[in-house]
Amino acid sequence: MDAATLSSVLQGGIVLGALYALMATGLSLVWTTLGIFNFAHGAFIALGAYIAWQFSSVDAWGLPLFPAILLTLAVMFAVGALMYFLLVKPFERRADVVLISVITTLAASAILENGLLLIWGPRSKQIPSLGSGEVALGQISLATSEIILLALVLAILLGLGLFLRYARPGRIMRAVSQNREAAELLGLNVPLYFAIAFGLSAATAGLAGVFVGTIRFMNPEMGTEPLMKALIVVIFGGVARFSSPLYAAFIIGMLEAFSIYVLGLYWAPAVLFITMIVVLLLKPEGLFGNHQRTL
Amino acid sequence: MSDPALQVENLSGGYDPVQIFQDIDLVLHKGESIGIFGPNGHGKTTFLKTLSGLIDPWSGSIRFHGELMNRVGERGSRKWRNFNYDAVTRRRMDPKTVARAGLIHVQQGNLLFPELTVGETLSISSGAAKGREGWSLEQVRGLFPCVAERGDHKIRFLSGGERQMVSVAAGLLSAPRLLILDEPTLGLSPKIRQELCDAILTVRKTGMPIILIDQDVGFLEQIIDTLYLFDHGRISGRMTHAEMPDHDGLMALLFGEYH
Repeated sequence: MDAATLSSVLQGGIVLGALYALMATGLSLVWTTLGIFNFAHGAFIALGAYIAWQFSSVDAWGLPLFPAILLTLAVMFAVGALMYFLLVKPFERRADVVLISVITTLAASAILENGLLLIWGPRSKQIPSLGSGEVALGQISLATSEIILLALVLAILLGLGLFLRYARPGRIMRAVSQNREAAELLGLNVPLYFAIAFGLSAATAGLAGVFVGTIRFMNPEMGTEPLMKALIVVIFGGVARFSSPLYAAFIIGMLEAFSIYVLGLYWAPAVLFITMIVVLLLKPEGLFGNHQRTL
Repeated sequence: MSDPALQVENLSGGYDPVQIFQDIDLVLHKGESIGIFGPNGHGKTTFLKTLSGLIDPWSGSIRFHGELMNRVGERGSRKWRNFNYDAVTRRRMDPKTVARAGLIHVQQGNLLFPELTVGETLSISSGAAKGREGWSLEQVRGLFPCVAERGDHKIRFLSGGERQMVSVAAGLLSAPRLLILDEPTLGLSPKIRQELCDAILTVRKTGMPIILIDQDVGFLEQIIDTLYLFDHGRISGRMTHAEMPDHDGLMALLFGEYH
């Protein structure tokens, strides 16, 4: 493998890692806070992409890309919070809430994906690129759009991490995820913070969708495969800390990029699943996890 | 005595389908403190959890400063058993509303938030205060010096006594109008136990009404004005501070002379 090929594979791995980090963070945010798995996360990815397309495409409302992304984040946050009140809140006092929320989020996923098909039609769409041109660093050249994508992902994840650590609502979200009963006894509005967690999760999923939409053609099922990858990342990395899925995302991204190069496109998922199974056998709580499920 | 701060009438409850306590009548006047004494496993903690709204009461009413805290209704009075009422109806009682009214419950062996530091925990503990004048952070730190020293430590690394102190501190920051303490000295070493008792006594001296469950009769005697005996999910006796016997006398009241 020469230097140029290596750099291009590395570049691919980093971009994939960044996207998976964004998706997995949202997924693990809901899992650690509410203790449920959101199967509508993939549909959120697609919904975010379509909303951003509606805002930014010259065929639709034609806003500049970055304001369109901000508006998409706001809409996705609201959709996520609404989804919590529709899909989880009515059942949260039942003992089988985990199972019920599997059904409700799967149902929401189907409804959202078919809603996208109904509203925007089956024709493939693409969001304008984040940037054009390339930046040359010696022998290696990097696409500007990929640099912007990476910078945005890192900035958003850093911001989310700081929010959870230092902002009062973030701290309350962590408290609520660790001991709901104690939070209720302190008079904290637990459903509100669950809704915020769901909203943030949907916003990060939507943002991942926007980025995927700038790279590939969009269709309503575009979130299914990333959801699977995000799931692998969450299981592979564990959820003990906010940063656990981040490291795992970049490892999985790199692994995928290299296995695509070495073994071919169709073997890459097999490599990821085998790696996940091996990690589960050796360290069931995930590579960076511990036995606690907490933020 | 003045108007009751807390008035519990005919309260029954438990963990569906098992009833744990029944027909509890209890009145707590403003500025008064009461103790609840009884054997383990007879429903004291479940009763307190019902008072603070963590468990829906089955029947009866809870009034706090004249305000009804629960939606009155008999358990099982809803028709159509298979209909999911949780989806369309409110809970009979909401712990957030209760806490925001000023009824603050410090749970037994409270784990609080294991991954948050002491400082972070205290910073979010004023959620229930909602404009009421409560204890300030400085006052709480003065009351529990170890809480001030351990500000950067995660709760899970604290000892049981320190954890209990943080729990009480968090409760005080919530500007309580009534503090419920469920066995605060359980499992603590004598030294830590004494520190905690002194702090609770200091809180009591400010005129704070307290409902205290404890197995230490000496400690109860220092804090309370009225003692309720709790036996098999019912209140089996009520006595004023002056009428309170010693530990052996109380055990004899509950279990007979040859306990």
